[in-house]
Parts: sequence; C-alpha cells; structure tokens
Amino acid sequence: MFLTKEQQKMLDGEYGYAIAKLTQLIVKIGEVNGAIRLIPIKNAQIAGVSYLTVGEPIFSFFNMLSKDNVKVSVPSWLNPAGMDMKKWKEMGIKNDFAEKQRRIIQQYQEMGIQTTLTCTPYLIGHKPKFGDHLAWSESSAVSIANAYYGARTNREGGPSSLASAITGFTADYGLHKKENRVPRIVVDVEATINHFSDFSALGYWYGEKFHGIIPYFRSIKNAYIDQVKMLGAAMAASGSVAHFHIAKYTPEAEKVDLSYVSETVTFDESDKKQIYDHFNQTKERVNLVVIGCPHTSLEDVKLIDSSLRDKSVKKGIKFWVFSSRKLMQNDKAKKLLTNLEEKGVKIFTDTCMVVSPVVRENYKNILTNSAKAAFYLTRDGTNKISLLSLSEIIERVSE
Amino acid sequence: MKTIKIRTIVEGTVEGIALVSPIPISFFGGVDAETGIITDSENPLFGESLTDKIFVFPESKGSTVGSYVIYGLSVNNVAPLALIANKAETIVIAGAILANIPFVDKADHDVTILIKSGDKIVIDTTQNIVKLKKE
Repeated sequence: MFLTKEQQKMLDGEYGYAIAKLTQLIVKIGEVNGAIRLIPIKNAQIAGVSYLTVGEPIFSFFNMLSKDNVKVSVPSWLNPAGMDMKKWKEMGIKNDFAEKQRRIIQQYQEMGIQTTLTCTPYLIGHKPKFGDHLAWSESSAVSIANAYYGARTNREGGPSSLASAITGFTADYGLHKKENRVPRIVVDVEATINHFSDFSALGYWYGEKFHGIIPYFRSIKNAYIDQVKMLGAAMAASGSVAHFHIAKYTPEAEKVDLSYVSETVTFDESDKKQIYDHFNQTKERVNLVVIGCPHTSLEDVKLIDSSLRDKSVKKGIKFWVFSSRKLMQNDKAKKLLTNLEEKGVKIFTDTCMVVSPVVRENYKNILTNSAKAAFYLTRDGTNKISLLSLSEIIERVSE
Repeated sequence: MKTIKIRTIVEGTVEGIALVSPIPISFFGGVDAETGIITDSENPLFGESLTDKIFVFPESKGSTVGSYVIYGLSVNNVAPLALIANKAETIVIAGAILANIPFVDKADHDVTILIKSGDKIVIDTTQNIVKLKKE
C-alpha cells in the first residue's frame, strides 16, 4: 500500500492511538482486497446505531474513541436507531433500551455525526454526485448511491464506515474502481412491475439467485426513485448486491461495458408469483402492517393517504409507517400525518421495523410491501409475514 | 511437527491450544462479549469459551458490528489468544485490529480440517507460519 506522508503519520500514531487504529483498519481491509492506495471520501453514512444491533460492546469502542476526542472529518450521518426518539413509549420500547439508545446517539453526535437516523439520506438532501467516492454502510443506501446516482461506495460495515468518516479515507478497491462496476448478467423483465412490492419481489428474486453479481435490467419502464429503492434494498438483503444498472435509466447504463455479460435471464410472472408465494405466511389474523423499508418519502406517505380514501384501519390492527424525521417535520407533512393518524395510521421516524426490537417481539402476523423487511423479520422464524402491494394491504386491513 | 504457511493480518507470536469451529462464526449474536462464551446454538462449540484459546474458523458471517464484539472481548479480558481463518473478512479484520489480537489467514489447506480442537499450536507472524505440535 502506498501512503501519503499525512496518511503515514496517521498510521504511525502522530495523531493519537484511536486515529492510528482506525487508519490501520482501513489500510488492512484495503490490503486484503488488493488496494494499493487510500482515496479521500466526500461523506459517510454510518450503520451500527440501534442498541438492538450493536449491544453493549459498542460502549467499549466509544470509550477508546472518546479518550482521544476524535471527530469526523467529512459530513457524516447515521442509519436508523432502535426507536422513534420522541414516540418510543408508543412503540412499546422499554426504559432501559431507550436509555442505552440515547447514549449511543449522543456518543455519535459528540463525534460530529449528524443524527439523521435514516436509511435514505438521499431523500433528505444528501444526494451523492456522479463519481463521488463515499463510505456508506446501509446496504440499500449503498445500492442507490451506486446505481441511481453513479457515486462509488463499497458496502461498508459500521466500523469501517466510521473509520472512514473520522480519517476521511477509504481504500481504493471494489466498487471504487470502474472495472468492477460492469454488469455480468442481463435481466429481461417480462413480468409486469407496477407496485413497490413488485420491484421488491424482482430484487429479492435476483439477489437470491445471483448473489453479489451486478445485473443490467432491461425493459423496466417509468421507474422512479421510490420504486428503485425497493428494488435495490431487496437485492442487497437477499444477495448482497451493491450495484446495478437499469437500461436507459441509471446514469452508468448507457456507457457501461456489456462485454462481461455471461448470461441473460428472464424474470416472468411465474418468478414474481414464486416470491409472493414464499412470503404468503399469515394464515391467522394480522395484527400489524409495516411500511417504510427503506424509509418512505413524502410521496409514499401521500399514496397511503390517497389509497385509504375515506376508510380507516380496522380496530385491533396497527398500521405503522417508518420515515425520516426531517421529511415529516414540515407543516404540509404534519397536516398529512394528523389526517393519517385519524384513519389509524401511525408514522414513526428515526427507526424501522427491522432495527427496532418491538416488531419482532410483540407482533406475530405482519403485512408489508417490502421483501427486505419480510426477509429480516422472518429470518429467526418467530414472525409470519405476507408480502403484498399497498393496495392489497389496504383492502385487507381497512373498512 | 507440521508447519503451515499463512498470511499475516495482525502481527503477533503466540503459543496456545486450538479451538476449532467447523462452520462460519457470527461474532454478533454468536459470541458473548462479556464472557467469551459461544452462544450460537447451531455451532458445535455452543457453550464453550474462546478465552485464551487460538480460535480457528473458516470465515465470519453476520452483522458487521461483530467487530465491536471482538473488541469487547479484549476490553473484558476474555479475548482469544489469536485467530486463524481460511478467509479474513472485514468484520474480523476490523475487530482484530481494534483489539490487537494476532490474526492470520490463507493457509494452503482448510485450517478447520488441518487443526483439531485441543491441538497445541504456535503462530509466528515474523515468519508467516503456524506450527502444529500434535499432542
């Protein structure tokens, strides 16, 4: 690995123990992956926020960092936490968990990290630019940064994205290099994909079949960001796919080298049905609906409102929507939320169904329009879930 | 005595007793950072302690915050003496660096077959080798 003088100083401990360790971490990960240099990053998106997913060990790590009083050196923001920071009691979060969660967020804040608590930073103004090098860790955001914006980031872990946020560098390997961003498989999308859940089913199907391989989707028409984020999130969850192309749509698609494509596959109606059938598990009475994986945009929330029309959610069923605090703060959104609350729809921010403990613990029969949420919530076998389109969900749970 | 060539990820020369996991290990959710006990019920080593052992495993899996678990093991003085994997991945690299635990990978053969639990082994990263002293 070739290091600049400044990077060498960081590694040698001239800026303290914590910086040396974090630099060593990035250098070593780089070396193992064949990198020969470090590159500066524009910004970082850091996972490892929910107390559910980091547990007690994070505090030992924070102690090491705070001894040296380290701060981030590039704009950095946080993934969702384990609870809505204001309405956590309503979610059923216990005091002890809330206390630990607040401590974690405070520690990150003290390092200069923005407490956005969202998996969709690009929906709240942090849109990556084409060609930007980033260190993002939330897998769906990684996929959108690469595919939809043409920025460059590997799928970082919580620790490595934090190390990059503080040092300002990542190692130059993987998706930072143009030659590793080419598609290997062409997917002809023959099935009709309209609903968010259809995009999600397509992503889930692809990821499960072609783990880690960059696809080039043909014949997807009229996709927009809220649909693409469902596709990317599901692919990342089922198959760790961190980048993809959509013909005539995503920014790299037009010029990308297709000569590495070794296979063309088709996604047809029967493939789509197979995914919906796999997540058709709720035989008993449904007690919860979860929407917002990834976090909803304001348009997504409006769509829920307009789909409900003048109906309300049936008694005994909870309808939870997850989004980012920033999007739900303006006056227009607030009015919409009040309206929705009256119809039995609850919007939580800062968290989601996957990283909060309460969904898994307290609700057994769940409906969602996200295959990613379905995947994570059924992994340990305690929940039953059905993947449906938003309109089907509303049909089932409203009156 | 058998000598195996390895790649050094984190330096250190140590001698100890091997504990071998035949399947990939998830440090997050699979190892208790306070006690060093393996808590993954699907692992044949369920209930055993990593503490002061040379922990041998094929690769890691699961959440990337597993790195913090490895760091926690060392802060709580229940860390393994060293780590040997077939394939070093980001989770364990980050954890071993933060915790200063010697870590090697890339032997010519599957380390989880070459090495048996209870074997006495020496890791010498100055020479990039692991020596197997079968008892």
